[in-house]
Amino acid sequence: MSHQSSLLAPYAERRQRPAKGRSGKSLAHESAEKHVTGEAVYIDDMPELARTLHVAVGKSTITCGQIRQLDLSAVRSADGVVDVITLDDVPGEKDIGPVFKGDPLLADGRIEFHGQPIFAVAAHSFEQAKRAVALAQVDYQEEAPVLTITEALQQNAFVRPMHVMQKGDCDAAMAQAEQQLHGELYNKGQEHFYLEGQVSYVVPTEDGGMKVYTSSQHPTEVQKLVAEVLDVPINYVQTEVRRMGGGFGGKETQAAQWACLAAVFAKRLKRPVKMRLDRQDDMVLTGKRHDFLGRYRVGFDAHGKLQAADIELAGKCGYSPDLSDAIVDRAMFHIDNAYHYPAMRVTGQRCKTNTVSNTAFRGFGGPQGMLIGEGILDDVARAVGRDPLDVRLTNLYQHGDRTHYDQEIEDFPMAELMTTLANQCDYYERRQQISTFNQQHRFKKRGLALTPVKFGISFTIQFLNQAGALVHIYTDGSIHLNHGGTEMGQGLFTKVAQVVANEFDVDIDTIQVSATATDKVPNTSPTAASSGTDLNAKAAQNACLTIKSRLLDFARQHYGVEPGALRFANNHLVVSAEQEHWVPFADFIQLAYQNRISLSSTGYYSTPKIHYNRDKASGRPFFYYALGASCSEVEIDTLTGEYQILRTDILHDVGRSLNPAIDIGQIEGGFVQGMGWLTSEELNWDEQGRLASNAAANYKIPTSIDVPDMTVTLWDKDNSEDTIYRSKAVGEPPLMHGISVWCALRDAAASVADYRVNPPLNTPATPEQVLKAVQFCQERSS
Amino acid sequence: MHQLGYDENTLDQVVRFLQGLTRKTAANRKSAGCQRARKTAAIIRYFCVAAIKKGDTVIRINLNGEWVEDAQADPQWTILRYLRTQMAQVDVKEGCAGGDCGACTVMVGRATEQGLQYQSINACIALLATVHNAYVITPQGLAKDGTLHPAQQALIDHHGSQCGFCTPGFVMSMATLYQQQCQPSESTATGQTVSNPAEHGWSAPEDDAIHAALSGNLCRCTGYRPIIDAARAMGDYPAKNADAVVSFDPNAIKVSDEDGLQPLLQHQQRQLFVPHTEEQLKILLQQYPQATLWAGGTDLGLEISQRFRQFDTVICLHAIASLQHSQDQPEQLLLGAGMTYSQLEQELSSDFPSFAELLHRIGSRQVRNLGTLGGNIANASPIGDTPPVLLALGAQLEIDGIYGRHQLAAQDFFTGYKQTRLREGEYLRAIILPKLTAQQTLHCFKVSKRYDDDISAVMFAAVLGIDNHTIVDARVACGGVAATPLRASNVERALIGQPWSEQTMLQAAQQVEQDYQPIDDVRATKEYRLQLVRNLLLKTWAQLEALV
Repeated sequence: MSHQSSLLAPYAERRQRPAKGRSGKSLAHESAEKHVTGEAVYIDDMPELARTLHVAVGKSTITCGQIRQLDLSAVRSADGVVDVITLDDVPGEKDIGPVFKGDPLLADGRIEFHGQPIFAVAAHSFEQAKRAVALAQVDYQEEAPVLTITEALQQNAFVRPMHVMQKGDCDAAMAQAEQQLHGELYNKGQEHFYLEGQVSYVVPTEDGGMKVYTSSQHPTEVQKLVAEVLDVPINYVQTEVRRMGGGFGGKETQAAQWACLAAVFAKRLKRPVKMRLDRQDDMVLTGKRHDFLGRYRVGFDAHGKLQAADIELAGKCGYSPDLSDAIVDRAMFHIDNAYHYPAMRVTGQRCKTNTVSNTAFRGFGGPQGMLIGEGILDDVARAVGRDPLDVRLTNLYQHGDRTHYDQEIEDFPMAELMTTLANQCDYYERRQQISTFNQQHRFKKRGLALTPVKFGISFTIQFLNQAGALVHIYTDGSIHLNHGGTEMGQGLFTKVAQVVANEFDVDIDTIQVSATATDKVPNTSPTAASSGTDLNAKAAQNACLTIKSRLLDFARQHYGVEPGALRFANNHLVVSAEQEHWVPFADFIQLAYQNRISLSSTGYYSTPKIHYNRDKASGRPFFYYALGASCSEVEIDTLTGEYQILRTDILHDVGRSLNPAIDIGQIEGGFVQGMGWLTSEELNWDEQGRLASNAAANYKIPTSIDVPDMTVTLWDKDNSEDTIYRSKAVGEPPLMHGISVWCALRDAAASVADYRVNPPLNTPATPEQVLKAVQFCQERSS
Repeated sequence: MHQLGYDENTLDQVVRFLQGLTRKTAANRKSAGCQRARKTAAIIRYFCVAAIKKGDTVIRINLNGEWVEDAQADPQWTILRYLRTQMAQVDVKEGCAGGDCGACTVMVGRATEQGLQYQSINACIALLATVHNAYVITPQGLAKDGTLHPAQQALIDHHGSQCGFCTPGFVMSMATLYQQQCQPSESTATGQTVSNPAEHGWSAPEDDAIHAALSGNLCRCTGYRPIIDAARAMGDYPAKNADAVVSFDPNAIKVSDEDGLQPLLQHQQRQLFVPHTEEQLKILLQQYPQATLWAGGTDLGLEISQRFRQFDTVICLHAIASLQHSQDQPEQLLLGAGMTYSQLEQELSSDFPSFAELLHRIGSRQVRNLGTLGGNIANASPIGDTPPVLLALGAQLEIDGIYGRHQLAAQDFFTGYKQTRLREGEYLRAIILPKLTAQQTLHCFKVSKRYDDDISAVMFAAVLGIDNHTIVDARVACGGVAATPLRASNVERALIGQPWSEQTMLQAAQQVEQDYQPIDDVRATKEYRLQLVRNLLLKTWAQLEALV
């Protein structure tokens, strides 16, 4: 046997027990210890190479117009400044639009939003760069900006064409409906507020290429765009991502610009260059969750059974397309949530506004659509005077129903899931208690809501549903794991390592997960759409299966046994001949190496079954749906609109969990993020189009005291589709459990008018909005 | 040089003198002679500055158990800037550079009469100079010799980290809470005393204490539940694992022997003073009446950390003991202007419980450990939380400085947006709160989008005196409704002399628009602000009637 590191347990011990950290165990995050000691390295923590420069951008001080004159002389001569660039200094492609063009690396003479980067400065220190950019003299020709969805709709200002999905004859069904109502709901966007801001560190390589360390969910796209901007082949650029301090979609496309700017300087100056956005720049310069305006007309019968819906969804895309086409599509896909509409028309508008280009954010439009859908269900319930939960249960999809994009609903235990939760959390009993409480309290009112989540899993752009992995086994039996997914805190690296541990039945601590790197696994998809584990764990499993099959072939010949006589167990290869022979994994690997067996393999995976014809708005865009339900209770103060979220119960379907602790972490974190989106987190632009909520001081994500008494239970049943160990994706779906909080706030407000009116409650439902809703009900209650 | 004085300003006078000579002697400023003379002047200045620096300006901190001295420190450096870029201490993170997210939280230990006292603070907005001669502890300092602190191990075991970027800050807040829970008694809110490392005497923290400790730490991934569970469970871990903190020797802290009249730090044209007495402060104010006074810096710090502004002369007030004293007298309570919110939380709890309760909602624990009452007043923000309370209470402000000591009613102090009657060369010395009579009650309501660590949409405070069901006395003041914190005189007139009833409050509420003309901004619309003031009058009634 080769030397065994003292970091690992001796084989004598390992033989006596099952391998540690296999799939299904609540293993701690692979970096947990490094997190708590602060030793986990983020880009800004890397030791800086000699002569490293720091970059800041000069931002537009108008919202819309043309640059007439740009005088950067004071910037160039400022303390510490080494170089200044504008778009003219970009050697290659000047537009970094990820899917569609429209995102110039620096302003091309035209200003499309307040704060748009016009030029960039490289200086000896971060502070010097920041002070220098303030010295520019810019003369603008201002134009009137388009700032809101309403203005964009009036002016036909769109970044992409309208798109429609329909099912049945919506107009006829609506005309025949027993009752109708119409309404409107505006939900504002959300700042990602990843704790680590955007950052890239770029080091020139000897061939005129670049090594790019970036905090990005999409290293391949950063690689491609840096290469294009520098006008070099893609293979001149290597991108590496060890971890991000949070991503949430905000680092899917919008990490690239900062890497590209640093790379342009690195190329010009042949020096290492770092670009980090401070919090205010990050908030002003990067896109957010889209605002959505939903306008709807819905037809239903006296029991609240849905008959038809005609819905227009308009997303605020900002100045350029970015990912907005797919985001508005996903909002449209999720407007139905879990409910069957016999006839439906959904129209999606992609509004162009003079604001920063909005981008992916956990749920990718789905939450915005679903919120509007859940608002409709509450409206219908109050219109027919039934408990909203009963109306929801009445309208659930049944097996075999088809969605408005023609996907068949299979394996849909939502009714069972919701009633299980309702029983677990005493929904009906508490409904009674709340009624009593509300009668007894003049200035406090409580509300309750139980809402489902059905979220489609897969990238709706089909080709993104693929992944690669790379597994090496070294001669001491230690395993090196790499794949195309990025770690942003969600526990992807941990889960995939557990899958590898499972495949070889070895201790998890024999596996090292290495940074995502474009020269290890190429042409990767972004870690997004909740797909990280589904795709990368399958790819890693496939790499393991390839190596395993080589190893087992070799063992069969070497030990002269049938395939059925070989198995991996407790960190050993077990050969069952006349008696069992336990070979330590390391010894077996050493033996295989000496017999010239390849111990390294790539693995690849592409999602089966999915297809979608967008022209016909029909097909199966989703491999499967992740399901769940949540129930929240709130108490509002009818004098101020302030409120507390008292309790939330969540039952969530992660299939067969790969790591219950990590899955529960995703569910709780997703819920709280969704709750924040709908309650305290308010984006505000002033009348000039400047982002007013541009700092942590005026953009308030939840703190520990805001979190309700929270119980999360896993609906731990096999995924009926063949996913990795029958698990389900978990990243985005739980965010939408936050909707139960919003519905409960509305329920509390509606209690003021004995649930006979539907209070308008645009989001975020700040105390101000809640007070308005209460007043609306008070005015109509007498 | 000595005879002329020992600072850079004097040097600059010399340089200007030399430059003036060259202008007189050389007609053409670009002439070689002139250039040479200018260069010579600059060189003389360079060496003189270097000499001063070498002799006088050394900052000294104990970083994770090791004393570190730095003669090159810039007075503008925050603790965070220093740790990350000068000391490669990158376990302390920058999340917002505004004291709002807590990723940069460090524990600061100071020698006091009771031993070392520990506090959590935001390293991003605190000046390096404020931890001169103090202990600064970061996560790596907690995990000495490979043993994790209970806060660290509990976080791992409860799955309390996901992306991990906020985690070091949570660790430091939790470790500070741990120290607090390990002491026998008294101090709950303020600094934490550890007298005997061997007897940790752990008592599990109440959830309120956990939330207070974590109020300045944002996590975007976990939803906090596992972190709270970890904080509850810290006592389950071996107490010896906390020794990395408690084993520090308070006696190793040198009693500050600097002359408070000499700059502690100097760099280029900028200088920073840390006077130890009010006498020294007054002498400095004579010399530098325009100096920036640093009284906690939880707002001023952003000028450096977010706006990269450079101050010529900063005078830090934290080392002046007389500004941190309080005097409890029968009729009034005198509070030193330099008292931090954390200190006040205890000081006010018996006489002004509703004011003390309000303090729990000002900033976060880290901010309350830095920010001072005097800073909140002199900063004169229209959205400061304490001024409306002071106005409602009829507080007096004691001012001192180059014009001598005098008093002023708090309500006369604020003259406009961020404008006060404090003159150059003056400082706020103390705040005098008249105690409430048996008939009087104080009501404080802070309304904001978020419960903890948020800035008010409206800050409402009222003192009502009720005798025999009649309102005999009313002082109502609000923040967030005008350019300054402001009394509601029309509302007050509508209350005084009226019967104590809901009807009276509703009638008084009709006067609100006469008193206040608020604006729309990022926190609220003007309509909501007016509605709030009206409704909070009703809530005051409801509160006294025990209806809410």
